Amino acid sequence: MSEVRVGVFVCHCGTNIGGFLDVPGLAKYALSLPHVVFSQDNLYTCSEAGLTEIKNAIAKKKLNRVVVASCTPRTHEPLFRSTCKEAGLNPYLFQFVNIRDQCSWVHMQDRERATEKAKALIRMGVARAVLLRPLEETEVEVNPCALVIGGGIAGMTSALSLANLDFEVKLVEKENRLGGTLNSLYKLYPTHEEASKLVQSKTEEIEKNSKIEVLTSSEVKEVKGFIGNYDVTVRQGEKERLFKVGVIIVATGAETLKPAGMYGYDGETVITQMELERMLKEGKFDADTVVMIQCVGARNEKRVYCSKVCCPTALKNAMLIKEANPDAQVFVLYRDMVTHGTKYEDYYGKARETGITFIKYSPERQPVVENGSVRVYDELLDEELSLPYDLVVLSTPMVAHNDSADLAQKLKVPVDEYGFFLEAHVKLRPVDFATDGIYMCGCAHWPANVGESVSQAYGAASRASIPLSVGHVKTEPLIAVVDEDECSGCGLCELTCPFKAIRIEETEKGRKAKVIAASCKGCGACGAGCPEKAITMQHFTDKQLLAQVIPLAEVIS
Amino acid sequence: MDEKSKAVLVIGGGIAGIQAALDLGDMGIKVHLVEKKPSIGGRMAQLDKTFPTNDCSICILAPKLADCFRHPNITLHTLSEIKEVTGQIGDFSVKLRKYARFVDEEKCVNCGDCTAKCPVKVPDEFDMELRKREAIYPYYLQGVPAVMTIDRENCLYLTRGVCRICEKICTREAIDFEQKDTDVMLNVGAIIVATGFVPFDPSGIAQYGYKRYRNVIISLEYERLICASGPTGGHLLRRSDNKPAEKIAFVQCVGSRDFKNNRYCSSVCCMHATKEAMLAYEHNPKVKSYIFYIDLRAAGKGFQEYVARGEQKYNISYIRGRAAKITEDHDENPIVWYEETLSSKTKKTTVDLAVLATSLMPRRNVKELAKVLGVELDEYNFFKTDPLNPLDTTRPGIFVCGCCREPTDIPESVAQASGAAERAAETVMR
Amino acid sequence: MILQESFEPDILGFLCNWCSYAGADLAGVSRFQYPPNLRIIRVMCSARVDPTIVLEAFIRGLDGVMVLGCHPGDCHYMTGNYYTERRIKTTKKVLKSVELSPERLLVDWVSASEGERFATLVTDFIGRVRKLGPLGNEIDLEPQQLKTRLTAAKEAFAQQRIRWLVGRERELVEDKNVFGDKVSQEEFDQLMLQTVEKEFAKRRILLSMGGDSFSVREIAQTVGASPKEVLRNIVSLERDGLVSVVGIEGNSPKYRKTGGR
Repeated sequence: MSEVRVGVFVCHCGTNIGGFLDVPGLAKYALSLPHVVFSQDNLYTCSEAGLTEIKNAIAKKKLNRVVVASCTPRTHEPLFRSTCKEAGLNPYLFQFVNIRDQCSWVHMQDRERATEKAKALIRMGVARAVLLRPLEETEVEVNPCALVIGGGIAGMTSALSLANLDFEVKLVEKENRLGGTLNSLYKLYPTHEEASKLVQSKTEEIEKNSKIEVLTSSEVKEVKGFIGNYDVTVRQGEKERLFKVGVIIVATGAETLKPAGMYGYDGETVITQMELERMLKEGKFDADTVVMIQCVGARNEKRVYCSKVCCPTALKNAMLIKEANPDAQVFVLYRDMVTHGTKYEDYYGKARETGITFIKYSPERQPVVENGSVRVYDELLDEELSLPYDLVVLSTPMVAHNDSADLAQKLKVPVDEYGFFLEAHVKLRPVDFATDGIYMCGCAHWPANVGESVSQAYGAASRASIPLSVGHVKTEPLIAVVDEDECSGCGLCELTCPFKAIRIEETEKGRKAKVIAASCKGCGACGAGCPEKAITMQHFTDKQLLAQVIPLAEVIS
Repeated sequence: MDEKSKAVLVIGGGIAGIQAALDLGDMGIKVHLVEKKPSIGGRMAQLDKTFPTNDCSICILAPKLADCFRHPNITLHTLSEIKEVTGQIGDFSVKLRKYARFVDEEKCVNCGDCTAKCPVKVPDEFDMELRKREAIYPYYLQGVPAVMTIDRENCLYLTRGVCRICEKICTREAIDFEQKDTDVMLNVGAIIVATGFVPFDPSGIAQYGYKRYRNVIISLEYERLICASGPTGGHLLRRSDNKPAEKIAFVQCVGSRDFKNNRYCSSVCCMHATKEAMLAYEHNPKVKSYIFYIDLRAAGKGFQEYVARGEQKYNISYIRGRAAKITEDHDENPIVWYEETLSSKTKKTTVDLAVLATSLMPRRNVKELAKVLGVELDEYNFFKTDPLNPLDTTRPGIFVCGCCREPTDIPESVAQASGAAERAAETVMR
Repeated sequence: MILQESFEPDILGFLCNWCSYAGADLAGVSRFQYPPNLRIIRVMCSARVDPTIVLEAFIRGLDGVMVLGCHPGDCHYMTGNYYTERRIKTTKKVLKSVELSPERLLVDWVSASEGERFATLVTDFIGRVRKLGPLGNEIDLEPQQLKTRLTAAKEAFAQQRIRWLVGRERELVEDKNVFGDKVSQEEFDQLMLQTVEKEFAKRRILLSMGGDSFSVREIAQTVGASPKEVLRNIVSLERDGLVSVVGIEGNSPKYRKTGGR
């Protein structure tokens, strides 16, 4: 092995680290470690200037290992790996040390001990870096076909987008027709266009598009594979069909909570907004006094969130009632009127002008629906009111479908505590899953109105089209490797792996374990269990992990 | 990707423009990313933390800035503006004016020798004029491209023909006073508008005392004060006496939901006020915050939980009531007068600092830009879109995303940006 | 051993990239403070943590070890955390054999959104280990003796028998074998415990043997076990091919290591 030359870059991260640890001291300490030939402290290592420093140091100091001590590898490892690559250094010869999220930010009151800990972490990082080996990525082809699960407005929009970009699309819909929630809606806010018209125009566009194959009354039964190479089994009645796709978009929408046991819900005189829409759509509405109650089953201890769409929906339906019957009395009992932005604030204004009465109630004194009237304490008037009604309409939140968890399991993707699909990053990757090649949009992600669902659908299509356009995907070489001389062919690894990425095969040396690189996720479950210790986990070998096992006493001494 | 497909022009280098450019670049489409300021980054670069995760804004933005800079398919045009657009969808001719930086981008390494010696001191725009900067300066520390810029309106040489100290000091010979503004013609298939917003200036609302009282500030000024890389190193110090602010009033809907100014709701202020109060408390557990609101709008993923946490753990009191006026006492402590709607009582409270959550408005030159682009604006001067097809402007081939379309938060802006990229991709790929 | 007043435990944590490491990051982002006694080693999945690595940590003198993964059902790699639980719980059994408190080794689950919980978990664990004292405080052994015992434990976990049994638990307990038999959890746990104790005892014997030959009585004295137990284990070691008889002294055979694994 030629000489190992390590460069260590310690970041101030503005004052995020520099304000709590002795960063220059850490850089100095790093230089004292074996194999470290260069160290530096930077204000922001991830900035253009910082990255340039790294590249310059690699060239000038002939570094063959780079260690950055800063924030977290979960956001910044790819950046520094690319930087190393650009400077001609294999990206897997880079090591990240987390001295911010797991040090400076959590030990803000103890500079000395925090700095000591950071020293130890840097020492651990350098020790590991010395043992890293260059690894090469491999490429896999991407099947130029997309699967869209869900044929509502989000699913239809993303399917059309991908088809317009010239990719094959399989659009799978559980019901017997496209349209999703729009099929249950009457008119859409804020323009009061008819939902059915929108569904019709989108459906026609889809039917005309030869690139989209629509499978209604169909469900996804099984998903195998990985980005670029998903094998999806779709069940349609008795038939099962297997599709090979490159990417998957989840657009399965959401449903509205049925307020069983709340406010005397009975589906006849106390109904949901959805049921009201059906009444209005079918021309069966004939009440004279309507009381709407917002936040039913939402913004409480069990379901903390605000479902966003219920306030504009109530306004819409209240205005449609007034249109149908100008003499109707409509009361909207609300906690906060959630009408964001340029379009919905105006909408609220319009609603007030039609004579709808708005009554603010507090969660501590909920309205009570009695026989024929609703008792409510009006916070702004400081008065208890009794509102007679013909119809009570409850605005309930959107909730995840019962089977969303099931689909999540099939796709091996996470859901949040409410059953909505969980994105890779709340701010910067809102329509991506952490798993490559799978994306989401619409109410499957979080309650959204039509405009938002459409934006997200275009967004998901954009993200999905990247691997489709490029045509191939690079796979990370962090996988299991079998030493066939040590392997006894016992098969425990095959039993352990949930991805079927390691299997026993007959070879001339007998039964041996073989790794399918493209499927291997590098978790290490097989490696840590192999009775013969015949499996090495690349980039996380026993030696590399053990190098980090350093008692603090050694660091301090 | 087909070699024949045209490039796409993205106007605006904030998070929306950046995301759109990256998506298009990753698809294999060439992108011209045009930014008026000396660096890309936009508003997100000015924020300390972002809701609802309270993660460091620049920390999640910086990798994207670097990605844009290094991307083989993205050409960055900073200090540039669109002057003319002719043609139609699939074939636009765009005249781009690249303003002279007077600094050679290839040679400058951001060392700061020039800044240290420049004799001019003017208010710094990025830091909301809370501190002074020189005439040769970095737009902000983590900016991309990471080079200096000379402010032609205040540089002694460019205005009066004297000085040139920076040129003498620079060891890399990076100063070039001979640079001229140049016009470049671009041919693109589609255009994405992502020009963001400016905060409403509440000096016109006389009863709030902005610009009269030193301890009445707007949210973006607060963000710079609380930001670790801001003018006070993240310490919330009052401009009047440099003492830490421990009692803070956040006044919501300043200029928003207001018939005299902007009728619309700016969407994000309930959340960012909560965030700002949380940050103050984190820095100093003695801080007590009051948020004066009308309707609390926290409808995004995790938002309601965030607000609840603010109330329970960060010493924030939410008071329903519009602030009627702000006065100050002889120590320059703002006094907020409000009607507490739930008790119908008029009250007042004295605080150390009042932060006005001002409306998010379209940029001042938006009418000009709309004219150049040939697109319509809505009644509020945001780019007009159909609520059910929200990323298309009124002109085919021109798309829009982010706050220039409607005030919106970062996750929505990012999703819209990807969406606009897709719409543009569809256009250039046909 | 007397507990020093200012003892600060030295703790290592193995955290999985997707859940617990992310949760630890979130603790940082949210500024939930905890004492600086913990240093984190990142792995992609908690299932990567081979018990031999954990035992090596104790050999090197760490006072406590945490292995944190995703909540059951949420593992990014589907079933990884199941193996983590089995492996670490079994490692705790051998700590008992070593006579160290199994409380020094924690296996628990932290999700990516549980920043506060992580901080609390760590603070509590540090507190518990602080009360236990430095490694070995709970027994009266020379540091070298403790090290030897832990080494025996580590070597036991490097052998096929324990690894095989741990890896096949799910199959044995939940599915049936080819004869249609199933093993109940209690039966399995009992079997596991016996195996751990036996393998540990065997490795202790091997370690004590150095380069020379020894009689059963001599070995029994060194390791502090009864000659009857030692004999049983020696016979097992002989079957494993790890010791052989090299001579007789009086009535007692003399055994020597053969140099197997």
